[in-house]
Amino acid sequence: MKFRSLIIKNIFRNKSRSILAIIGIAIGAAAILGLGLVTDSLASSTQQALTTGAADFSVLPSSFGGHGSGGGFGGGSGGGFGGSSAFNGSSGATFVSAGQTIDQSTLNSIQQMPGVETAAGVLRSATELNGTTQPLTLLGIDSQDLSLDDVQITNGSAFTSSNQIILGSTAATGLNKTIGDQLTFDNQTFIVVGIYETGDFMSDRGAILSLSTLQNLTNTTGVSQILVKASNGTSPTSLSSQITQNYTNLTTSTSLSGFNRMNNGIQIIESGSWAITLIALLVAGVMVVATMMKSVSDRTREIGVLKAVGWNKRRILALIIGESMILASIATVIGLIIGVGAVEVLISSHILNGIHIALSLNLVLEAVGVALFLGIVGGIYPAYRASRLAPTEALRYE
Amino acid sequence: MSNENIVKIENLIKRYDQAGVIALDGINLEIKKGEFVSIMGPSGSGKSTLLNMIGALDQADEGSIQVSGQNLMEKKDFSSFRSKEIGFIFQLHNLIPNLTASENVQIPMLQTNNSDEEMVKRATELLGSVNLGNRVDQVPTKLSGGERQRIAIARALVNHPNIILADEPTGALDSKMGDIILELLREIHEKENMTLILVTHEEYVAKKADRIISMMDGKITSENCTL
Ligand SMILES: Nc1ncnc2c1ncn2[C@@H]1O[C@H](COP(=O)(O)OP(=O)(O)OP(=O)(O)O)[C@@H](O)[C@H]1O
Ligand SMILES: [Mg+2]
Repeated sequence: MKFRSLIIKNIFRNKSRSILAIIGIAIGAAAILGLGLVTDSLASSTQQALTTGAADFSVLPSSFGGHGSGGGFGGGSGGGFGGSSAFNGSSGATFVSAGQTIDQSTLNSIQQMPGVETAAGVLRSATELNGTTQPLTLLGIDSQDLSLDDVQITNGSAFTSSNQIILGSTAATGLNKTIGDQLTFDNQTFIVVGIYETGDFMSDRGAILSLSTLQNLTNTTGVSQILVKASNGTSPTSLSSQITQNYTNLTTSTSLSGFNRMNNGIQIIESGSWAITLIALLVAGVMVVATMMKSVSDRTREIGVLKAVGWNKRRILALIIGESMILASIATVIGLIIGVGAVEVLISSHILNGIHIALSLNLVLEAVGVALFLGIVGGIYPAYRASRLAPTEALRYE
Repeated sequence: MSNENIVKIENLIKRYDQAGVIALDGINLEIKKGEFVSIMGPSGSGKSTLLNMIGALDQADEGSIQVSGQNLMEKKDFSSFRSKEIGFIFQLHNLIPNLTASENVQIPMLQTNNSDEEMVKRATELLGSVNLGNRVDQVPTKLSGGERQRIAIARALVNHPNIILADEPTGALDSKMGDIILELLREIHEKENMTLILVTHEEYVAKKADRIISMMDGKITSENCTL
């Protein structure tokens, strides 16, 4: 008989006790894997949504005239427009110029800077639809740069000519407009060719048209903002500080509010899942210690016999820790299956829609590592107690 | 039996402080290599305590005790001494219930670096010699008390000990089964020239030994040769 077969036989000796311990550890491993899988997947899905295309930061004139507050791009924070001073009167041209702008030559030279992959000028403005007092924010941007502003066309296509416009989903619902409908403001008529979403409620209330069209309408040559994406290998932070150094009249904004909001969300989910994981680990740990303590005390007499027949402390330690490790290993495998299975169920029941599932080797190793660690640590104290039993006391034990 | 002393005990004292008991109160005893000694005495007289001292399961407080040349008063771990020198047989067989007869016999060999085949071979051989050749793969719960005690004897012999310490090995058996076990122990003692120290309550059992040691209140009251 091999030592390891003795260990395995001992585990299956008291089946209900072993099964309880296995369930405890398995829950721990499943919790780590399942929750880790969900948070990792959420994070990577969000990351993907944010990094493909989206700009790293935006460049703005360093003073904003009388124009609202702050004005980050994609503005979750009240965005620089819609201040009541922007809408004067109710008839005739109601355009508000984009306030202070960045001129074309500055835009050109930023586009030429090393480390800049894309620098797209955008112009912001606002108007009222003809015959109404309904305000509409306008964004001028070249159609190939739409993704820099997180614009996703959910219906139709982007504008290709100066009489075409795309409408934010909220605006489209509010105005009761859809693809093919016309939109008239400043006595000019545009055809709605697409509906977009940005995930930002302010932007989704507006409309987007080509930069040159909006520049013509507002009699501007400049842009109100430049969206910059750093090239691969260039740090956006250092690029942004280089720009503010070179152009003292410009400032940069890296606070991508959408990103921050999502990031906060992920952090909350992460800390929540950590809390649950810790509780699961605690339960599993207590389970291992309790099982092995009971197992050792049930076998006090037997451990006395093992000592009487010449087993040393090390071998008794190895026996008990070995048992708890094998228990933990079996439990880990079961836990992994439960964890992956639970996530599969969530996926197939469409609870995790839109989340890209990222099962990484790291995550599996983490769960395996923690479960085995529990097995060893949970076994150490009971094993130590067993190895320290006085043989005569143990043999007298009833 | 040789003239060499395998056990040499002088003024050995063992106290159980918490209980205020003096379990061994100045024991002097010499046992020759290959001798068969039985220890008798009323309950609580210190028989098991003395046996545990000889087997290094516990340590005395005062005096000296030498077994197989080992000073057992040293402060150290005597597990390898027990493994090499001593074979214990208890009143209750103390077998591991989920292991087969063969596996139970092999347990002491796990400590002594034997191959799997050697262990199986030795266990089979010993179970054959205690007439359990047909019960090798049976678990103890399906065996009779006498059969279990024979497995325990095989287990005690497995590492070729020099001394067998048996604490009332027939105490839990009926007299017929007790006789069989006793006869078996005597045979082994003679054939292998092992030293056999046997604790018993029963006079007729004790009389099979070369010498009977009587104890009372932790002291040896008489040493009688049976011949
Ligand atoms: N661990 C212990 N703690 C306290 N007292 C003990 C302990 N072990 C033995 N004793 C006491 O030491 C004395 C001798 O005990 P021992 O077990 O050696 O007796 P014994 O002769 O084997 O008796 P029996 O025939 O009943 O087995 C008894 O009074 C007993 O109560
Ligand atoms: Mg006794």
